[in-house]
Amino acid sequence: MNDIVIATHGLSKSYSGKPALRSLDLATPRGSICGFLGRNGAGKTTTLKLLLGMLRPSAGEIRLFGERVNSEASSVAARSRLAFVSEDKELYPFMTVGQTIRFTRAFFPTWRRDLEEKYLDLFRLPREKAVPKLSKGMRTQLMLLLAMARGAELLLMDEPTSGLDPAMTEEILQALADLAVSDGTTVFFASHQLAEVEQICDRVCLIDEGQTVIDGVLDDLKSQYRRILLVFDGEPPRELAGFPGIDHVRRRGRTASLLAHVDVDAVVDRARGLGPRSVEVLPVTLRELFLDHVRGE
Amino acid sequence: MLWYKAWLETRWRFVFVIGSMMLVWLTPLWLPGAAPPERLWLGLQLGWVLLYIFAAVFLAGAGINTQTMYAATPGFHGSMLFTLSLPVSRRRLLFVRAGLGAIETCVFVAIMAGFALFQGPGATSALQALLYGTRAIVCTLPVYALSVLLACVLDEMWQFMGAGLCWSAVFLLQSRSVVVSRISPLRGMSLVSYPVTAPMPWAPIVASVVFAGVFLYASVLVLQRREY
Repeated sequence: MNDIVIATHGLSKSYSGKPALRSLDLATPRGSICGFLGRNGAGKTTTLKLLLGMLRPSAGEIRLFGERVNSEASSVAARSRLAFVSEDKELYPFMTVGQTIRFTRAFFPTWRRDLEEKYLDLFRLPREKAVPKLSKGMRTQLMLLLAMARGAELLLMDEPTSGLDPAMTEEILQALADLAVSDGTTVFFASHQLAEVEQICDRVCLIDEGQTVIDGVLDDLKSQYRRILLVFDGEPPRELAGFPGIDHVRRRGRTASLLAHVDVDAVVDRARGLGPRSVEVLPVTLRELFLDHVRGE
Repeated sequence: MLWYKAWLETRWRFVFVIGSMMLVWLTPLWLPGAAPPERLWLGLQLGWVLLYIFAAVFLAGAGINTQTMYAATPGFHGSMLFTLSLPVSRRRLLFVRAGLGAIETCVFVAIMAGFALFQGPGATSALQALLYGTRAIVCTLPVYALSVLLACVLDEMWQFMGAGLCWSAVFLLQSRSVVVSRISPLRGMSLVSYPVTAPMPWAPIVASVVFAGVFLYASVLVLQRREY
């Protein structure tokens, strides 16, 4: 059994010559919950579509469950072991909830009737209700039911909680976490909700302009990264940006904010050498990591 | 289950074309003495060919090709990503959807063709009715297959317009070009061009089979190469 469920190497995709993904490398271990972050247009949906075989890569390699996905047959085989929740949560308008469940169930021998009943009950979804008559939140719930009840080894999700109220969001996040813990299901979800990612993810992959910026265990990242706040008497010196171990520098007035993750103590010592009035070392939040990496200096 | 989905997806279209057919059937009852029976019969036959085309184009719509993201309206369309995430090849998706639409088209044409012969003036044997029904079905298939191909690259409105444009062009060309006239599926399905007592028009029949095969093969190629 391969321990890396999603692996991409040098994955690139261009649309009419314009690059959307540039040599993306991903490695998502089995049983992890990985938050896939990035700004709008960073390449998140493109990556998910490439993993699902809806798009063909311009270059690079995709491996799902340890198998190379380079043909329709291999993509179909991989899709029998995963579930996808799209951002728009659109289902067939000519079916009812019950018909949609029966239809989807037919493709997955590993379908879990117990989970189907559990989520139907939890979400209060009436089987006989037509899909067009469902609210967006209910459509989201139905789509999540279809994803979670099929016994998939991997859940690919694009903004899975959009359209849900906070209480339901909490229940969904809990259900996803339970699935990962109890069944070893891998969850890979693209989201803009950093608080949700921070709440349930053990891994984070941040991409910007089609490239991986951060990929790692969330707790490790939080313990590695530090924010160093420096206040100077005048304008912060330019040479700060050249310090080794510094990821990003932001200047505002007489203040410089450094994000460092390698040898933080050495960075602090060097910064002190520039004569700041005060130096403060703070832990970072996921939000800060995100903003620093996608905004740059 | 794909067949079940295809049926749910197309059943109202099928009901609609059958309803259209009923209207055409009832027309002579509404127009007693409005025109000499022969003229009325001729008009109805022309109308039938148009109905064959309409049914073939209409029943080829829907399916994964029109479930586009950009056309997403709440509760309508936009389910393409869900379909494509299922463990089913695109070829199978196309064959099931096109297969069911083709069956519905054939049922429609067979009923129309059978009724045409019962309703028409003069006696018609069961064999003649069967032969006409068969050629009407075969000659409708390229119309259907072209619509399937158009549905792979265009959204539904443009698919209708594209099909209308193509078959209008064939209709015009068949009166100007001997070659087109000989192989035109529209002439093959028409009782005006080939009355029920005429020998089987093999040229349009063979051409229809070839065109239908080419259009369907092109549809598979387009669908397999298309990115979503």
